[in-house]
Amino acid sequence: MSKRVFEHPQEEANGPQYWRSFGQLAQTPEFKEWQAREFQPGSHELNSEVGRRGFMKYMAASAALAGLSLSACRREEKTLVPFAQSSEWSVPGKPIFYATSRPHRRGAIPLVATTHDGRPTKVDGNPGHATSKGATDTQTQASLLDLYDPDRSRIFQHAGKESSEAEFTKWLADVIAKAGDGEGIAFLSEHFTSPTYGRLKKAVAAKLPKAMWVTYEPLGGSEASTANNAVFGDGFRSVSKIDKADVILSLDCDFLGFDEGRLEGIRAFSARRKPEQKMNRLYVVENRYTTTGGMADHRLRSQAGKVGAVAVAFAKAIAAATNDAALSAVVGKFAASTLSEQSAGWVVEAAKDLVAQKGKALVLVGYRQPAAVQALGHAINAALGSLGETVIGRKTHGHGGGASIKDLAVKLGLETAEQKKARVDKLVEENAVRKAKHQELLAVPAHGPSAIKTLFILGGNPAYNAPADLKFGELLAGTEVVRHGYYEDETTYSIEEDKGGEVVKRNFVKWHVPAAHYLEAWGDGTASDGSYLSQQPMILPLFGGWSEIQLLNFIATGKKADGLELVQETFNGVARGIDAVSWAKFLHDGFLPNPSAKEPLAFNADGAQKLAEGYKVSDAEFEVVFAPCAKVDDGRFANNAWIQELPDPITKITWDNAAIISPATAEKLGLLAKLGDGRLNFDNGTFLSVEANGVVLEIPAVIIPGTADGSITIALGYGRGSEGRVGGRRGNYMSHGGWFSNKGAVGFNAYTLRTVANHYVATASVKKTSRAVYKLAVTQEHGALEGRGPDVYRESTDPKFNARDNDWLHKHNAMDSHAEKVDDLGYPVSQSAYPHPPLNDKNHQWAMAVDLSVCTGCSACMIACQSENNIPVVGKEQVIEGRELHWIRMDRYFATPMNSREDKSFSLGEARMVMQPMPCQHCENAPCETVCPVNATVHSDDGINVMAYNRCIGTRYCANNCPFKVRRFNFFDFNERQKDKYFRQNLVNEKGMADTLKLSKNPNVTVRMRGVMEKCTFCVQRVQEAKIAAKVKAKDSDNVQVPTDAFKVACQQVCPTSAITFGNKADAKSAVNRDIANPRAYRVFDYLGIKPRVHYLARIMNPNLAMPKWSQPLEEGATA
Amino acid sequence: MPQIFQRGANLVPLKILLVLGAFATCAMGAVWYYFTPKYTKIGYQPAQPIPFSHKVHSGQLGIDCRFCHSFVETAAHSNLPSSQVCMSCHSQVQKDNPKLEPLRQAWASGKGVPWVQIHKTPDYAYFNHSVHINRGVSCVTCHGRVDQMDVVYQAKSLTMEFCVDCHRNPQGELRPLDKVTELGWKAPTDATELAALLGKKPADLKLKAGAKLSPANAQDIMGTHFRDLRGVHPPDSNCAGCHR
Repeated sequence: MSKRVFEHPQEEANGPQYWRSFGQLAQTPEFKEWQAREFQPGSHELNSEVGRRGFMKYMAASAALAGLSLSACRREEKTLVPFAQSSEWSVPGKPIFYATSRPHRRGAIPLVATTHDGRPTKVDGNPGHATSKGATDTQTQASLLDLYDPDRSRIFQHAGKESSEAEFTKWLADVIAKAGDGEGIAFLSEHFTSPTYGRLKKAVAAKLPKAMWVTYEPLGGSEASTANNAVFGDGFRSVSKIDKADVILSLDCDFLGFDEGRLEGIRAFSARRKPEQKMNRLYVVENRYTTTGGMADHRLRSQAGKVGAVAVAFAKAIAAATNDAALSAVVGKFAASTLSEQSAGWVVEAAKDLVAQKGKALVLVGYRQPAAVQALGHAINAALGSLGETVIGRKTHGHGGGASIKDLAVKLGLETAEQKKARVDKLVEENAVRKAKHQELLAVPAHGPSAIKTLFILGGNPAYNAPADLKFGELLAGTEVVRHGYYEDETTYSIEEDKGGEVVKRNFVKWHVPAAHYLEAWGDGTASDGSYLSQQPMILPLFGGWSEIQLLNFIATGKKADGLELVQETFNGVARGIDAVSWAKFLHDGFLPNPSAKEPLAFNADGAQKLAEGYKVSDAEFEVVFAPCAKVDDGRFANNAWIQELPDPITKITWDNAAIISPATAEKLGLLAKLGDGRLNFDNGTFLSVEANGVVLEIPAVIIPGTADGSITIALGYGRGSEGRVGGRRGNYMSHGGWFSNKGAVGFNAYTLRTVANHYVATASVKKTSRAVYKLAVTQEHGALEGRGPDVYRESTDPKFNARDNDWLHKHNAMDSHAEKVDDLGYPVSQSAYPHPPLNDKNHQWAMAVDLSVCTGCSACMIACQSENNIPVVGKEQVIEGRELHWIRMDRYFATPMNSREDKSFSLGEARMVMQPMPCQHCENAPCETVCPVNATVHSDDGINVMAYNRCIGTRYCANNCPFKVRRFNFFDFNERQKDKYFRQNLVNEKGMADTLKLSKNPNVTVRMRGVMEKCTFCVQRVQEAKIAAKVKAKDSDNVQVPTDAFKVACQQVCPTSAITFGNKADAKSAVNRDIANPRAYRVFDYLGIKPRVHYLARIMNPNLAMPKWSQPLEEGATA
Repeated sequence: MPQIFQRGANLVPLKILLVLGAFATCAMGAVWYYFTPKYTKIGYQPAQPIPFSHKVHSGQLGIDCRFCHSFVETAAHSNLPSSQVCMSCHSQVQKDNPKLEPLRQAWASGKGVPWVQIHKTPDYAYFNHSVHINRGVSCVTCHGRVDQMDVVYQAKSLTMEFCVDCHRNPQGELRPLDKVTELGWKAPTDATELAALLGKKPADLKLKAGAKLSPANAQDIMGTHFRDLRGVHPPDSNCAGCHR
């Protein structure tokens, strides 16, 4: 057989161009290197201080040691220890599932935790609960790892010295006894939704009536509640019913991201996004790309501070069209603002569309926008007849409110400049009166006297994330602090480093109480739909931590409670009675439904008008936006290695944050790194100096199309000053000398720029600095595929679009269109040189389908996969080398019209963004299998491309031959060694995993060692479990087929958009068969004849054709 | 000057070669045999904290395997009984036997008896008891005649070869589901009895009524019947069947 050569026809300029980075757009040599190779050049070398010679030396030493010990000669004696007393439900080797929930400020998340032999190994959404239906998010998935974090707080500490629970309780009982009416006592807590917390808070408040209560969330929605209270009355909030909306306008509202999204909102949106039903339409106005912006049919870039102007323009247009008096009155109160001609045209057409869908339209305003803009959003909804239709009311829950953190800071001694001056003057005067000599001068304290004697901090990390102008960390030094926290972090003590590098810890709190993880403690919560959730402990506290309800209960009663009786008492009140049956049902189901889920809403225009009066649209040239991070939240997940290694859904940055700017801004700031043959290229990592609120932050820039010009977005939650091997101030280990330092903090702390007044958006001045370029671990070019756009990603604006349509393929010059023969489903007939595997299993043939119409790219699947499949993290340095191990790669492409490079009128800033999750495609004619010299990767008879790790000798030929670049190699012993011990003179010693981390592993998946390949296995452990269950049930019969869609794979289970279906192709009734038969289905690189088992359903958009030409989502030629 | 090397010396290199060859052959043979799990693993019989006799309990008293190994039909692991199970009898029977002291201690302290593990599959091999037991593979296939062992030892090599041999030819080990825990049970060698067991007439099996079969032949006929009846296709080339 002669070698098949594909004669690539000339690529025509009709159809969108997809690119991952500016490097790809400009086809830089660096990018071509990434594209041509599976791993970066040099990534197979020990690129470190220990060269090849050193490596050989150490290897020889380790071999000699291994020989000396002769450890393999005698069989190691191992014992099996059964229970003394049988334990109900406990079957060795079988998981037990418990319903529980994870506390979250926007409503607890209902969960089902998987425990193996008493240790939780996986958390998933509660399929019985309406807000989850089995789905979860990135952070919930990763929260499991926090439980086993070796760095978490383990001991009670008294002023920095180890103490004990008994001493703490003795001290606390004494303080409470002397507290009297609570004068001088303050409580600062996170926003808890737990009814038990609320009940105990009342009990403590009754005991200590004069105590101060403060709730602070750095990413809380105080502006949203202000607007809600003003417009709908106290105690009500509006809830959007996204599934009811035909047209949605999002004004800086990331409702599909986890920043403010709720799982049920994402689910509701996705349910209307498949073109098989009537599709909704999404307009988004935002300052930077979010996952919501990526899903938009029409997107308008606008500085976050100017979103108000867009809202006003919408309100005016809608008020005029609907003749709504209330809306006209409200919008009349807003100061005049102007929009650019382009934006105004955009608003006019979009507003027409909203009015046309009156009653089925929905306007969402992000919680970071000022209350006035949010109230205006409510007014527009009222004018559009949305209240009661797409917007319903709910009673507020949770126990926020009370004083603000600023009030607390004042009580703690925060002063205005005048007050401070007065105090200093007074001291100087006193000194003068005393005629003190120089050394006797009274010291000037940094802040005024504190009116608070004892401050209880329940959760949170205010010293790190409180508004910077409060200087909260300094204020804490002046009072007695009891800190209940999960980590010993910035609030527990501050760190100073001596010149010699010696660490000095100071300003210890009086008491540090280790907090229990939510999987260790009894508790409860309120879900975002108001239903009452249980929270059960899966394991006893690993380090004796207390839950916040235990602490409050101790203050109220003076006794340490288990937690169970506290929750039962609350349950008794909520469920109006408790008995063994109702309690058992509550624990089993995990929730009690909310009987009053829907309240009527009445719009109060006066409230909105009042808010509007003080509002002014920003006119800043540069603004800095403090964005919640899609990964570390407000910083609480900073020490979570899964989270840190997850590429950000938009920027694809791991192990860092950066200042996101637009290409035009980059050009303006002089960040244009290369100019060759007329094409632009930008280098990420140039340091910018961002000055806002009088503070300067130097932070590397990352240039992302779709960002509003003049807007600098910085994710919060990085640059932690605490210890912590993962995300702490020395978390980023780098062995390569000369980059910056061997160890550095993970990311840059934007909280330093943030003030009470400018909480989310601040006016900034920005300039380029001359600092050396910072090395960012950006994965956007990793796994870059060959081939042209439609071979990889297909989309259209036509709902009747057929991805297999040869006409369409020809138009776009997809290689499929050149296939010689196609089968009846429209797929090219295999032309492989190798024999097709027999695939003997008549009952099972596994396959997957991914619907690109609904995938938002949130990347929760990557973490779910990591948790399920024991995938280790590798660290920043290794990610830069391209050695990350995620089995699913979330490919983010920007799409521009094909001729945009030449078309000078097209701005790169307008590029669209699309997402494509890419796991192993399990090709039937798998190119990887044919090149493996040891048959370590072979095809199973049920159609899975399997890896036998023990056979693998690490040639990496398979990875080289994989057209999808989905194979991952264990370059080092990532499981057994820490990231700074991969090779630094430690080849012989210092091995081993932290004991707690061992507990986190899934016992049904092999923990891989150095030198083997790994990749997505289609969760073969779940497949096998289902097959075994079917066989066990079959007994003497031959009915061994797994029941239709009886189980889900990890990525499918977690997906809140239901983008992924997995199932049995040999079962005619399976969901995956339905998706494969969908005319939108296509397979990537099908023309290679490899027959992938992963099918993608092409993305369909639903644009408004009346919109101005420049915001058309696709070029004309792209529509079929 | 006499020759230093006599004529016979011509043969010395050959002799050396022969001896070396014989030595190498022996060494290879020894490694071949002694370094395999067949030699290193079979017969492994560690001392247990309590000299528990399966021969007495299972062989003489006839207690079913599943009385103690209660989850073998439902779980991947075949569990060891909790001290509670032992004490359900031994709080009455032999309650002062000094050999049972570790059990009584375990029961009193709540810390189980540390039995020494005998049968072990490697970490990367995922064996599942329930699927074998429920599809008619007897305990005896992998564990031998435990009912005749005073102290349990490893009876089979449990190598990958051992597994794969059976996965390729499952008919050698399949039996009626109600005979799985009867370790001494064998397929009837009488053709009429065998046919009756399978619910057939001897003629259906192409046998003469009353004919005597060899044990191997009888097992083969019975196993083939059950293999086809149950549609048994154990993973024989699918690595993921055991390696995940």
